[in-house]
Amino acid sequence: MSEVLAARGLSLSFGGLRAVNDFSLSLGSSDLAGLIGPNGAGKTTVFNLLTGVYQPDAGSVLLDGKQVNGKKPSQIAAAGLARTFQNIRLFGELSVLDNVRTAAGVRTRSGLWRSLLRTPLYLAEERAVTERSLELLELLGIAHRREEQARSLPYGDQRRLEIARALATEPKVLLLDEPVAGMNSSEKVEMRGLIQTLRKQFDLAILLIEHDMGLVMDICEHITVLDHGMTIAAGKPAAIQSNPAVIEAYLGAPEDETTAESEAS
Amino acid sequence: MKTISERTRALHPGGLGSALRSAWPVVAGVVVALVLQSVLAPAVGPFAAKMVLDIGIAIVLAVSLNIVNGFAGQFSIGHAGFMMVGGYAAAIVTYYGSIKLWGSPEPHGGFLGSGDLLFLFACVLGGCVAALAGLVVGLPSLRLRGDYLAIVTLGFGEIMRVLAQRSKDVLYPEDVAGKSMWEVSDNLGGALGFSGLPSYVSPTPWNEDTGHAGIFFVYLIVAIVLISAYRLKLSSKGRALLAVRENEIAAEAMGINTSRVKVAAFVMAAFFAGVGGALFAHEFGNTLTPRELGFQKSIDIVIMVVLGGMGSISGAVVAAAALTLMPELFREFAEYRMIIYALALILVMILRPQGLFGIKELWETTAWRRIRARIVRGKEAP
Ligand SMILES: Nc1ncnc2c1ncn2[C@@H]1O[C@H](COP(=O)(O)OP(=O)(O)OP(=O)(O)O)[C@@H](O)[C@H]1O
Ligand SMILES: [Mg+2]
Repeated sequence: MSEVLAARGLSLSFGGLRAVNDFSLSLGSSDLAGLIGPNGAGKTTVFNLLTGVYQPDAGSVLLDGKQVNGKKPSQIAAAGLARTFQNIRLFGELSVLDNVRTAAGVRTRSGLWRSLLRTPLYLAEERAVTERSLELLELLGIAHRREEQARSLPYGDQRRLEIARALATEPKVLLLDEPVAGMNSSEKVEMRGLIQTLRKQFDLAILLIEHDMGLVMDICEHITVLDHGMTIAAGKPAAIQSNPAVIEAYLGAPEDETTAESEAS
Repeated sequence: MKTISERTRALHPGGLGSALRSAWPVVAGVVVALVLQSVLAPAVGPFAAKMVLDIGIAIVLAVSLNIVNGFAGQFSIGHAGFMMVGGYAAAIVTYYGSIKLWGSPEPHGGFLGSGDLLFLFACVLGGCVAALAGLVVGLPSLRLRGDYLAIVTLGFGEIMRVLAQRSKDVLYPEDVAGKSMWEVSDNLGGALGFSGLPSYVSPTPWNEDTGHAGIFFVYLIVAIVLISAYRLKLSSKGRALLAVRENEIAAEAMGINTSRVKVAAFVMAAFFAGVGGALFAHEFGNTLTPRELGFQKSIDIVIMVVLGGMGSISGAVVAAAALTLMPELFREFAEYRMIIYALALILVMILRPQGLFGIKELWETTAWRRIRARIVRGKEAP
């Protein structure tokens, strides 16, 4: 299996705080991997480094073998890396359908002139965008809400819409930041099935940040554990579960406090 | 699931049929403009026709500002600055150009004759020069947001005003001979304004003597602005603008080059503002002065966009028409205009911060749908 995403020795400090330290990762096409760690471990910061929101102090990111760190987030997205956000970032005032169409528009070639003149190519592309966006909403189970404003959706549906929007960019790699946060247990079961479906149907590599250990251990083939920016363990779920450093990181603080915090973020 | 490019290929872009379909709104716009010019204007008389002109120009400005303020969410309060750039650039062409071509700055030729064509060329040129200014003002928008950007656009408008104020006197036709267009480009009339411009935009319908087709020109451009803004809003490019306004980080993460999108919005808005400025400068009864196109004018346009709804094209049209008519119809209103504007703005900010229609078009609002439903039901009932 060929490597689609690689991180080599990524580091980033915020002032005196080493948020990420020497982080490495390799993801093959249609791999499903997990990134876990206590609150503030640096997981979201890793996503921000991979997607170009932050520039690393050291290290590099390779997408399909090409170096992408230093490029703008939009260029990296166009190269095939899509993500969702932990603190949901939808286009609130736009309709559900338009949220997805906006992202799908990135795969069209028509520029401003063609759009204003409504050339045949433009019209065909817009129809293709709408078709595919509707199919994605169907797949995520929110097609019946396509006319509603994104900000008026219930929480779980907003998370689904974030995923539909990310898929609309036709990614090779999908980064999911806590996709089941705030969901009830039946929604979680649904989302678990969905993640596995997506990966098969789109031949996607998925990197998943999640605090729900049951879910992560269940569906990920490979897990990386962060604590205070350091990678303290990496490997198969079974090995991670029995790794003393991981148990220490999670149990070092009283367990109930950790979960309470994760609910708030 | 098939990709966008696979689907596009499968949809076999059609030829002539779709070309016609994309051209008909422009044809309809030309027809409406002709009807307004030849039927409406003579019927209502010159006073009302002048108001029709004013409304048309206000629509051009409000709808163009809506592209950058409403769609892209970049708060610009220097729109009159772009009007000024376009207006003066066009004025140089029509005034000094007419003198060079025909020996006098008077309107020349009949309907769509050589004078009208020179004026149309001047409008497009004014738009292009303003678009260039839009590029320059758009660049800071990449680093600044909110209040800071607003101050930059305000500063731009003021710089344009001061530059126009410091220009030299307008040259008389007999002094122009032997000077190049470049040499006369600083003779713009200073604080007194660029007087003596040909009134190509006049409320009276054309006749053999003057050949003005003012209403036709203004509404031709209104049609082009409306069609462009509406098509933009419904396209992927337009959605990219709205996405930048809604959430810049998410837009960038979805592959939208937010820098490019913001600058493009500025350039497009500035182009149409420049054309609007050219129309304004050549409108009968107006004098192109730096004062006329100062901060006050910018604020008037901002109010139209904010009241109508950030992102609503029909909202901007309604607000532009209403705010142009009000001072003309009620003398008291004209006196207390700024107080009433301020009150209206405060009320809107408290009651409906997204403006009258928000991002929606008139026919998409729930109130409109309800009224339509009632009419339809009323017809069905015996
Ligand atoms: N922009 C920033 N400026 C300064 N510090 C930051 C910034 N972003 C993150 N941090 C800090 O970096 C550390 C890692 O944050 P990060 O959000 O990556 O954690 P996380 O593992 O995603 O946590 P959670 O599980 O709570 O989402 C935290 O201490 C956080 O406060
Ligand atoms: Mg996080």
